Amino acid sequence: MKNFLFLLIVFLLNQQDSFALFSQDREIKIYKNIRCLACQGQSLNDSNSDFANDLKKVIKEKLNNNETDQEIYTYLTARYGDWILFDPPVKKSTLLLWFFPVFILVIGIFILYKRTVFEKSKLS
Amino acid sequence: MNSKIKFAGIFFLFISFFIVFYYALKSDTKNNTQIMVGTRLPNIQLSSLFNPIQKISLPSSEKENFYLINIWSSWCVPCRDEHPFLVKLKNEHQIKIFGINYKDKTSNALDFLTKLGNPFYYVGVDSDGSKSIEIGGYGVPETYVINADGIIIFKHVGPINSTTFEKIVATIK
Repeated sequence: MKNFLFLLIVFLLNQQDSFALFSQDREIKIYKNIRCLACQGQSLNDSNSDFANDLKKVIKEKLNNNETDQEIYTYLTARYGDWILFDPPVKKSTLLLWFFPVFILVIGIFILYKRTVFEKSKLS
Repeated sequence: MNSKIKFAGIFFLFISFFIVFYYALKSDTKNNTQIMVGTRLPNIQLSSLFNPIQKISLPSSEKENFYLINIWSSWCVPCRDEHPFLVKLKNEHQIKIFGINYKDKTSNALDFLTKLGNPFYYVGVDSDGSKSIEIGGYGVPETYVINADGIIIFKHVGPINSTTFEKIVATIK
């Protein structure tokens, strides 16, 4: 019984650690996707400017209030526009940007497939 | 026939790339500070610089056609440069100016207003910069013109100069 309790405590402590690590990872992931608008091409994660530090505080508070990543991004883009995000959201205006590479890839695969079939039929 | 298909394919790819690059070149890749113009000012609550117990909420509930919000700080040199314009706006155009004192020492802020004059109808404190972020601010100085419905109709990032002053006057007329 004692052993079991000991194992349970160790397990729970470990869970707490991994939860802390997970939330820290999430926080850094968000910081890396946000442009510091007062700096030259830096993300929030790389910057220590006043603006970046203020924004980090606001984001941290929102994370503590259990807001989702999407809710945080919506809050920021409503105030600073899509430019604040390094990953532009999928919208009507960015459809081409997101799907054009996939489209080209599909065409490439199709051409390769056609060529292979053609070469095979030529050999046989 | 085969070469015709190949030519059409290459032509199609060329046109597609041309369209993508054309739009990429034309698209706005710069920070747009005017994104909140035309939207309602988010609700913020501010404690008074002169009496921390006294609090107000913005957008203002007072029946004003227009009012100004100015983010300032005593340590900000451009804020000193724009201060005479704020005084002029208050004295000559009788517009209410709500000041947001950004990350400042109370004694320094009070000293600043004593020396340069106080054009503000109300000065609220933003000790950690969160109030400024709530309304889409970048730092100091910054000025917003708000209409009676609480809509931001003008925003200026940076100090007010004579050109900005004229624009503000034209906006509140």
